[in-house]
Parts: sequence; C-alpha cells; structure tokens
Amino acid sequence: MVHTLEEIQRLLKSDGCLIDIQPLIEAPLLKVYQRDPEVFVEPDPSYDYEEDLRQADAALTQVFRRGLFVIEERSKFDFLTHGSSAQELLAFWGKTRADDNNTEEDSAEQHIKQVYNRIEEIRQAAGPEAEIALHERARVIRLAPNLRKEELT
Amino acid sequence: MTVRVDPENNETRALLDLVDFTGKHVLEIGCGDGRLTWRYAVWAEHVTAIDPKADAISRAKENLPDELKSRVEFHQFTFEEFSAASEPSSFDTVIFSWSF
Repeated sequence: MVHTLEEIQRLLKSDGCLIDIQPLIEAPLLKVYQRDPEVFVEPDPSYDYEEDLRQADAALTQVFRRGLFVIEERSKFDFLTHGSSAQELLAFWGKTRADDNNTEEDSAEQHIKQVYNRIEEIRQAAGPEAEIALHERARVIRLAPNLRKEELT
Repeated sequence: MTVRVDPENNETRALLDLVDFTGKHVLEIGCGDGRLTWRYAVWAEHVTAIDPKADAISRAKENLPDELKSRVEFHQFTFEEFSAASEPSSFDTVIFSWSF
C-alpha cells in the first residue's frame, strides 16, 4: 500500500491531486425498509475486511509522516446498495462463492447465508413492497503531493 | 428490481464537491465495471481506468456510453503493471476508490 501511494505520487503532476475513497472502519448495516421507514437493521455478517482497512489507514499515516502527501479536504457519505431481496444483494457483491453445491463451504460462509436468509424472511414478512439495502459509511479525502516532492525523490 | 448501487448519488456528490474534473487527465485505480467512471467522465478531458478483474473490465467496455468513447479507456491491469509502464507526472487527478 505504501509503495502504491509512492507510485501514485510519481504519476501525479505537481499541482494534481489524489482522491482516496474508502469505507469507514465499521461494519456495514443490512436494512429492511418499507418505503422510507426502516423496519429492521443488522450488521452485515460478511464484514471481514476491518484489518485491511486498518492497514490502509496505517499506510496513509506513514506517507503523511514522510511528507509525500498533504490532506486538503475530506468528507463522509452514506453509500447504499438497494436490492429486492437479501439473496440478490448477496450475489451482487459476491460475498459468498457462487457454487451453491460446494460441499466444502466453511462455517463463516454458512453463517453469512443463514443471516441473509433470516433477513430475507423479515423482508418478506414486512410486506410486498419491502426492500433491502446494504448501508456503508465511507470517506473521501483529497490529497495533494507535497511541495517537497522533488527533495524526497 | 435489479440491484441499484448508490442511486442517491451520495458518492458522486462527495466526489464532485472535492474535484473539478474540467479538462483534467484522470487515472482511476480499481474502476470495476465503470460504475463511478460514468458519473464524472463527462467533464474530464481523458480518463484512463484500470482494474485487474477481466470480467469487470469487459462489462465496463460493453457498457461504455457512445458519448464517452473518445475520452474514456478501460484496461485490465494491476496498478503495479500500469505504473511500471507509465511516465511520471502524467495525471492531474488519480482516483483510488474502494481499493484498500
């Protein structure tokens, strides 16, 4: 990751910018909703990349300390993926292997499918117009190559 | 209903609040199927969008709107491959999106 950021700095013009968009370090939420009101909310059981996000943040911190980039602006936003069923969302994001006949399915994957199945039951019970959404929080940062670029390379 | 990703355009708004793409040469790393690319490319001078996943790049090329064909190119590359073959100071903006 640090090497990637070093290379991005090399490819950028001195007055250019890097836009880094990443999810926040928190579990996404699965939400069942009927028009606007939410009728059920549960953390996404397939959230297994917290350590990856922490490592990415650590890499950013490292390049700040080395003076490769400076933060110019940042903001947060809500990122929602809507589906008509839990299984549709599950398949779309590829959170489990596509082959349902896989006999070597691990327990984590079984747990994910069980939770999604349960949420689908809740969605169906909530009424014919009930939908489901995966709600992630994300942040976007604009970074500028530090003016000391030439000194460091 | 098919799956709808960010129909509220929250990500696009957050992006456009931070960057003016007018006339810019843009590199997008981890473009996937071009979901985000379509939403800002209309303003850019040129967009190079890369992703290591062949199926995603195929979908991006298939779905590339005609009006963007002259200014957007998709390539199946890892960033390491792309970077090794690229000249320094080539881009005004680099988007590193959901690629932790």
